[in-house]
Amino acid sequence: MRGFPVTPVLRLALGLALAPLALVGTAQAADQVAVMADACAGCHGTDGHSIGGMPGFSGKKPEELKKVLHDFKSGAREATVMDRIAKAYSVEQLDAIADYFASRKK
Amino acid sequence: MTKISRRSFNALLGAAGALSLAGGLSACSSGPRVVVVGGGFGGATAAKYLKRYDPSLDVTLIDAQASHFTCPFSNTVLVGMNDMSYIERKFDKLNTMHGVKVYTDMVTAIDPATKVVKTAGGKTFEYDRLIVSPGIDFKWNAIEGYDEAASNVMPHAWKAGPQTALLKKQLEAMPNGGLVVIAPPGNPFRCPPGPYERASLIASYLKKNKPKSKLLILDAKDAFAKDKLFKEGWEKMYDDIIEWVPAAKNGKVTKVNAKDGTVETDFEKFKPAVANIIPPQTAGQIAITAGLADKSGFCPVDPNTFESTLAKNVHVIGDAAIAGDMPKSGYSASSQAKVCAAAIVALFKGEKPLPLSAINTCYSLVAPDYGISVAAVFAVKDGKIASIPNSGGVSPMGANYQFRKKEADFAVGWYQSICQDSWA
Repeated sequence: MRGFPVTPVLRLALGLALAPLALVGTAQAADQVAVMADACAGCHGTDGHSIGGMPGFSGKKPEELKKVLHDFKSGAREATVMDRIAKAYSVEQLDAIADYFASRKK
Repeated sequence: MTKISRRSFNALLGAAGALSLAGGLSACSSGPRVVVVGGGFGGATAAKYLKRYDPSLDVTLIDAQASHFTCPFSNTVLVGMNDMSYIERKFDKLNTMHGVKVYTDMVTAIDPATKVVKTAGGKTFEYDRLIVSPGIDFKWNAIEGYDEAASNVMPHAWKAGPQTALLKKQLEAMPNGGLVVIAPPGNPFRCPPGPYERASLIASYLKKNKPKSKLLILDAKDAFAKDKLFKEGWEKMYDDIIEWVPAAKNGKVTKVNAKDGTVETDFEKFKPAVANIIPPQTAGQIAITAGLADKSGFCPVDPNTFESTLAKNVHVIGDAAIAGDMPKSGYSASSQAKVCAAAIVALFKGEKPLPLSAINTCYSLVAPDYGISVAAVFAVKDGKIASIPNSGGVSPMGANYQFRKKEADFAVGWYQSICQDSWA
């Protein structure tokens, strides 16, 4: 679902020699899951790398993230705001978001 | 007038002075050109995420100031919880980490026919697509007597920076027992809960430092964002200090006099020690000048791509845009910026843009250790951006201290994250 079109991959490969890691490490095509998940970064940091008091996702296993998100949606897990947000997504969407963040580089 | 094309650009990189932050990674940006006007939450996020979604894009960000002072958390600066530097966002990382060219200059004209923007500094920038994220400007004299000169006496502090510093100075100088008036505008305006967070934090400051003082909110509305939650907190903490006067009880300020310091509604005249007048607003001036706004003063856009319905290849995001159910907030602007960036990348590739998926999460501090929030997730329905039913909403009423404290802590975490996500 998140296949990388050929051209950007080539461009990325060519860019490697010149660009610092910070740029290359975050570059990726935008698909529907990325657009959905990147909206979360406003609170949780780019790629889920929270620098402050918000929970970050780096190093989390996808199954762990999925369970937390499902429990926010069902109300099984106490929350201040995530219960309200998780209810807007289907279980499939939450799973895709969890997989997306779990696949980001630490 | 200097015309800067992509080819001649590298030659100019060595030039000193006007060109700031234009070197670095930009040399390998050979793809289509996107110019971003405005370096707030919308513009900065758009520039960063354009490069993230397609590193080959040639992305230029132009802001009139060398750095951006955020409105979020500016109320904490007013009352001394944080220094001004806490809300200052610099643009250097957009260049060094993401390869965005950054210029400090004021865009004065946009010509969608020839796809160029012109600046006060005499430069011309060509674009293939343009993102306009200018924030807001004020309807001077909509309140009789409140023009730009009056705002130097009765600050709006609705754009952060010098206005924030001025209001802070006035609050510090006012006597114990003085009156503070806050006059919020009617809808729509930037940061709907903002005036009430401001009232809360100023009341918290007065309670501690000038306990005989009063704060009067003279409102042009009868309801406001998170109003039940604010009123619950006010009753608990500031019952002797804050009084909110709705429009229905003649709260609306119709006239001010900066010379004698008076503020008037249709029925009463006040002489406050500090008057914070927040006037009605429009999209930022450049959007008006460029013909991107409709009669409402804000800019109609396609709900999935944020492309202007009035000018091709020009996208408008953030407070300036008419974005359905999305409030005019930093989070909305940042979330719209990502959707817009992804759409532009798709359009350059000749692909169909993805449907919008966006979020707004916004915290307000009722006291330094007392936070409340509103959240919503958005999708396009019947051609408009709408919040997804049976989700989102505000913090619960009647929550205990631990809950409110946790949301106050999350407010700080939110601010740190969104600033990182937008500018770093």
